[in-house]
Amino acid sequence: MEDRPHKPHRPAQSGSKAEKKGKGKEKAHGFNEKAFAPKSGRRADRQGRRKVEKDQTRLHVPLVNRTPDDEPPPVIVAIVGPPGVGKTTLLKSLVRRYTKQTLNEAKGPITVVSGKKRRLTFIESNTDLNSMIDIGKVADLVLLMIDGSFGFEMETFEFLNILQSHGFPKVIGVLTHLDLIKKAATLRASKKALKKRFWTEIYQGAKLFYLSGVLNGRYPDTEILNLSRFISVMKFRPLVFRNTHPYVLADRLEDLTSRELIRTTSGKCDRTVTVYGYVRGTNLRQGMKVHIPGVGDLDMKSVTKLGDPCPLPDADSEKRRKLSEKKKLLVHAPMSDVGGVVYDKDAVYINVPGSFTRGNGDVPQGEGEQMVTDLQDAGRTLDDAVAQSQIRLFGSSSRHLALEDVHMDGVESSDSGLDDDEEGEESEDGSELGSDEELDEEEGDAEVDMEKLRSDPRNTGRTTLRDVSRNIPSSSKKQREEIDFAESDSDLGDEDAEDFGVSKRARFGDEDEDVDIPSDDVGSDLDDEDGAEWNPSSSNLPHRRRRRKDWMKLIYSTSLTPEQILSHGGESEAEKVNQDEGDDDDFFRIKKKDDLSRGEELDKTKEALKEQDLKQWEDDDMLESIRHLFITGESNLEETGAEVDENGEPYEEEGGDFEDLEAPDESPEAGPSSSRDDTETIRAANLAAKKEALKRRFDEEYDDPEASKLDFYDEKKEEMARQLQLNKAEFEGVDEESRALVEGFRPGAYVRIELADVPCEMVEHFDPTYPIVVGGLLPAEERFGYVQVRIKRHRWFTKTLKTNDPLIFSLGWRRFQTVPIYSLDDHSIRMRMLKYTPEHMHCYATFYGPASLPNTGFCAFNSLSGNTAGFRVSATGVVLDIDRSVKIVKKLKLTGVPFKIFKNTAFVKDMFSSALEVAKFEGANIRTVSGIRGQVKKALAKPDGAFRATFEDKALMSDIIFLRAWYSIQPRKFYNPVTSLLLSNKSAWTGMRLTGQVRHAEGLKTPLNVNSTYKKIERPHRRFNPLVIPKKLQAELPYASKPKLMKPQQKQTYLQKRAVVMEPEEKKAVALLQQMRALRKDQVARRKEKKEGKRIVHQKKVDKEEAKKAEKEKEKKKEHMRIAGQKSKRQADLEEGRSSKRRKT
Amino acid sequence: MTQKAGLVHYSGHQYLRTRLVLSILSGKAVRIDKIRSDDKNPGLRDFEISLLRLLEKVTNGTVVEISVTGTALLLKPGIISGGPIIHDCPLARSIGYFLEPVIMLAPFAKKPLQLTLRGITTDDNDLSADLIRTVTLPHLQLFGISDGLELRIKKRGAPPAGGGEVQFLCPIVKQVKTLNFAEPGKIKRIRGIAHAVRVNPQFSNRMIEATRSILNRYIPDIYLYSDVYKGDESGKSPGYALTLLAESTTSALHCSEAVSEPGIAPEDVALRATRALLAEINMGGCVDQKHQTMVLLMMVLGSEDVGRCRMGPPTLRTIQFLRDVRDFFGTSFKIVPAEPSNVDSSQLIYSCYGTGYVNANRTLA
Repeated sequence: MEDRPHKPHRPAQSGSKAEKKGKGKEKAHGFNEKAFAPKSGRRADRQGRRKVEKDQTRLHVPLVNRTPDDEPPPVIVAIVGPPGVGKTTLLKSLVRRYTKQTLNEAKGPITVVSGKKRRLTFIESNTDLNSMIDIGKVADLVLLMIDGSFGFEMETFEFLNILQSHGFPKVIGVLTHLDLIKKAATLRASKKALKKRFWTEIYQGAKLFYLSGVLNGRYPDTEILNLSRFISVMKFRPLVFRNTHPYVLADRLEDLTSRELIRTTSGKCDRTVTVYGYVRGTNLRQGMKVHIPGVGDLDMKSVTKLGDPCPLPDADSEKRRKLSEKKKLLVHAPMSDVGGVVYDKDAVYINVPGSFTRGNGDVPQGEGEQMVTDLQDAGRTLDDAVAQSQIRLFGSSSRHLALEDVHMDGVESSDSGLDDDEEGEESEDGSELGSDEELDEEEGDAEVDMEKLRSDPRNTGRTTLRDVSRNIPSSSKKQREEIDFAESDSDLGDEDAEDFGVSKRARFGDEDEDVDIPSDDVGSDLDDEDGAEWNPSSSNLPHRRRRRKDWMKLIYSTSLTPEQILSHGGESEAEKVNQDEGDDDDFFRIKKKDDLSRGEELDKTKEALKEQDLKQWEDDDMLESIRHLFITGESNLEETGAEVDENGEPYEEEGGDFEDLEAPDESPEAGPSSSRDDTETIRAANLAAKKEALKRRFDEEYDDPEASKLDFYDEKKEEMARQLQLNKAEFEGVDEESRALVEGFRPGAYVRIELADVPCEMVEHFDPTYPIVVGGLLPAEERFGYVQVRIKRHRWFTKTLKTNDPLIFSLGWRRFQTVPIYSLDDHSIRMRMLKYTPEHMHCYATFYGPASLPNTGFCAFNSLSGNTAGFRVSATGVVLDIDRSVKIVKKLKLTGVPFKIFKNTAFVKDMFSSALEVAKFEGANIRTVSGIRGQVKKALAKPDGAFRATFEDKALMSDIIFLRAWYSIQPRKFYNPVTSLLLSNKSAWTGMRLTGQVRHAEGLKTPLNVNSTYKKIERPHRRFNPLVIPKKLQAELPYASKPKLMKPQQKQTYLQKRAVVMEPEEKKAVALLQQMRALRKDQVARRKEKKEGKRIVHQKKVDKEEAKKAEKEKEKKKEHMRIAGQKSKRQADLEEGRSSKRRKT
Repeated sequence: MTQKAGLVHYSGHQYLRTRLVLSILSGKAVRIDKIRSDDKNPGLRDFEISLLRLLEKVTNGTVVEISVTGTALLLKPGIISGGPIIHDCPLARSIGYFLEPVIMLAPFAKKPLQLTLRGITTDDNDLSADLIRTVTLPHLQLFGISDGLELRIKKRGAPPAGGGEVQFLCPIVKQVKTLNFAEPGKIKRIRGIAHAVRVNPQFSNRMIEATRSILNRYIPDIYLYSDVYKGDESGKSPGYALTLLAESTTSALHCSEAVSEPGIAPEDVALRATRALLAEINMGGCVDQKHQTMVLLMMVLGSEDVGRCRMGPPTLRTIQFLRDVRDFFGTSFKIVPAEPSNVDSSQLIYSCYGTGYVNANRTLA
């Protein structure tokens, strides 16, 4: 044992030990730069170039992301795949992963919070092609599910093609049913094959997930966790179409039509419908037209922003890095059964558990239970509510009818009561708010300080009174307060009494009236006593009277004419208008003179120069006063000296670079010396700072001229960032409501869209598993016209496409059937119609339909129904042009025959039928079949339609003469939107059929034109006489042109004449050779015969084997089919079982 | 105002041009009635009809329906096609009346526009050809419409007989840039064009002298060109005019113009123009008063970003224009004082959220 050598130590090659020792030390040395240094200069050059190229490929065209970063809408994660692949299981697993809740049934979009900055909306697509199209247009991330045991299916490829033509969102592949493959080698091979195919379809290296088996009706938690991690770090690049259109994926639909109307029309009336969802894409503006794919174009009656049902955790609720467990429970899925509440189109269903009792508060309640208990908690009776409710005489009247002796407290209590109960109403009309004060506070530019108001002991009572109109011009607010107070309290004894003259005005006018009073005079009436209180800052100003006009209010919310707005102190005009409206009861009115005089006014761009305005410029002082507006003038530091802001910079900082440094003492007015010194010092400091900055800049630029320069890409990116910053900042202070007016609803807002005149079928046949996408339309897209597209038939689509056959386009938001005409550009001269799309080539198609912007992609289908065999995407392409007319032509050949021929002139008949037609074509180019070109000259009198034509050479009587003309054709004005959502069976939409299909269905035969049938062409053999050249002419011809005619040879040549006589030896040799050849021939024949026999034997053997093999194959096929049958049966059983289970619950 | 979707309804003959332009750009049909219905001579005037015909030429598929009395008008806009167009303007209005709406449309046409207009080049009511060339077109450059933008004055034509000819070349754009123009800057140079046709060429020099007498006190960088057209190029009537423009350090432009009147010396004409220019400069802002509507329109048509511009108080036309824009595009402006702390300043900041208007008429490939 001793002599046996010890086993030498082998250091660990892997594991923790190996990492701990040697490798760790090596790493500590760091990156060895020498190792990667290029050896030769040429190599270095090449490496450098490669690096730069790689950098460039990484860059993308900078694209503005319209979705705000701070509160983005949920990311739409669509789960797509063939039936039975496990979509619902995956959805439930993911929802379970994020919310720790198990969904009973998952229908419609499900929104969950996935992280501190991200929410996800899951939506499961059904296998209807219509749904796949709609989902492909809105999904940000697609989980493409593939049955690993089966492989790719046609739907998967169709869906990928749809994605491709509508901007490619991110795609993650998910392979399921891998547990069905038992053999490890087969599993590996099939994974590899599927991955390869997937990569070629998406891109090399596309992410593909493998989900093994199903545990407890869910996929294994670790695998789902992995998938969710990938989803949470996914980055999204904005897609062009979605970055220019707002859209909403509706997660809830509600029918608002009055029940009575539905009853009287037995459900056939147009409905008013509200849809709820997050705004995505760009800002959704009021008054926009929207398109719901499957329904049609609709008008948005109103849009309101609602509270976020699934809010992101905000900064103070969530201080930790990770999302707290509590937030994880948030899920918003109105159409699925979450927390016992299901929202249907016209009802809300609340499921409560079997043992439902009130009062055991320790058990956590679901949302539904909460609702029920709240209902049971109703504090007041209906009678109470009625007694305390308020009735307004008119919709527009500002005050409710109230008994005079209602005490202040009573009003107050009713207010609070209302606040509790009528939340809904508040949000509806928003006018009778107890929280009006809050609203007022929100108005940023409020000149009246409400806080001051409240703290003022005189005003304590007022805060409880509400004001109806919301669009209060800020300047008139104070007046309004005064008036209300005076009227409601009849407490006129105090100092407000002096305003009574103003406040006596009726308060029942509409909002406009309130707005019309820019109240300058009122303000000045009041400011003696408490003006300073209202607005301490304004009292400092020298001209109290010159309050600014609120242009926005004057322009947008009054009905004053522009003249009235502009005329100085517009309020007097406003009064006049009010007065006019006041005495409306005069039925007839005298037409005013000025109406007529205004009729003569011209639409001028240059306004007439006003003499007195020009006169003032004759004054030298006036001329001097604008000197500061020129670069040679000084900055207006002296004038605005008091208004230098904290930075010590004057407001007009722009001209600073050019200010007159040489003459700083040239200030026109000599103010008090102290203030002047102040301004001087400030000025000097300014100047010093400016010089310092300039010096710094110069130094920087001088030291490193490249450093400050940005390349084009960075410049663009910075520009975009700046613009986004500006967008954010500009409307920062503006209140929510007017902000919505100016810029619409930003992406990320949860909105409720009210749609008018919705077809009743949409509501009646509503199915939450079909997605409802509300897509905003740009103004250009509302219009119809001829759309020219570049189109290519899909290479997997088996048939060619024919001009004037209906085709279903998915273009923009829309899906519609239309009739395209295919064409090709003919040498840039004309667009020439094609009967069929060319193979492997793009062509143009022109159809009538809604316009969309050039460069929008589309895909086309011949049929959307699920029972079509084969690939359904028939063509893809891109929009090129929109127009109101088209210039597509097809060739038309008119033929005729000559009936009389002169030298170069021929009389042609049978081309036209009348002289008029000929007149139309005078001067047209014609041609004979043999290629002689000519021209139509003039009609002949005798045979109708015959004409005289001239040619460049003499035409033959046997020639056919033709005229090539171009006949312009128009596409048919046929547009048929695919209204699949309106059907009870949503996948059964049928559009216009092909003529052939109609004939087939009707059992009609194709009409056959006799002239169109093909017959055998009989061409009589033409004999031509030999060319005869007269002898005399021949003699005169030069030798080269002379016909070389030779007489046939008469004498035999020597070779023909001689006889051959052989020598005897020679004869013998020839004979021997002949014998040998005969022997050889015989031998070959015998050998061949033998071979043939052998071949026959062999053939027999082969045949036998073949038959055996076929038998085996048949057996194998049988086995395969048996397994497949079993699988489908199992599936059906499973389906049945599931549905029966559902029925049980 | 809107009666039903896609149709905007107005009354009265005023502001016809901007309404037609807005209709064509937005694609919404417009119906205008009560056009001078109370007038002795009711209905559309010849120049308005001519404008409609011009718009028909510029567009493809536009349907104009005019009532029998001419007091009502329905315009269903087509697409803006552009291309080479020739139009004879009636002598009631100058070329500026017709060119102004076309300038607003031309950048969004299918093909670059080459428009030849014949008629009066300078008159009292509308922008003269000089002003359009030197002031209006540079305003378009703010929005990224510059390459190939040109106005050629082939012939001048003074009222009443006209005889002038201009050629307007305009490129097409995909989308106009967003404007952010809040710094008026200071006036750094003044330019002017004095032209005289069929009168003593000395007139233009006299005008220049008079103008210099006032403006020389401000800056030295003043160039006033004397532009004399002779013979066939000078039109059919005598006349002269002075066009002035002041450019600031941030290339804000202010302009003024005065046109000859019978019985008024050229010096007086020049003084009027000069004083009008000073009044305009005093008004301040980044955009000239006469060009407010055009700049605001281009801001509305900008990308979906916030555009800002500093201008003086709105003119009559501008106020109505702002309202009309809201009817057609649904865009309202935020208008706030430019210097909230300075009470004397009447300048305003106009800001709006662009509609993201993309030239859908443009042909690809």
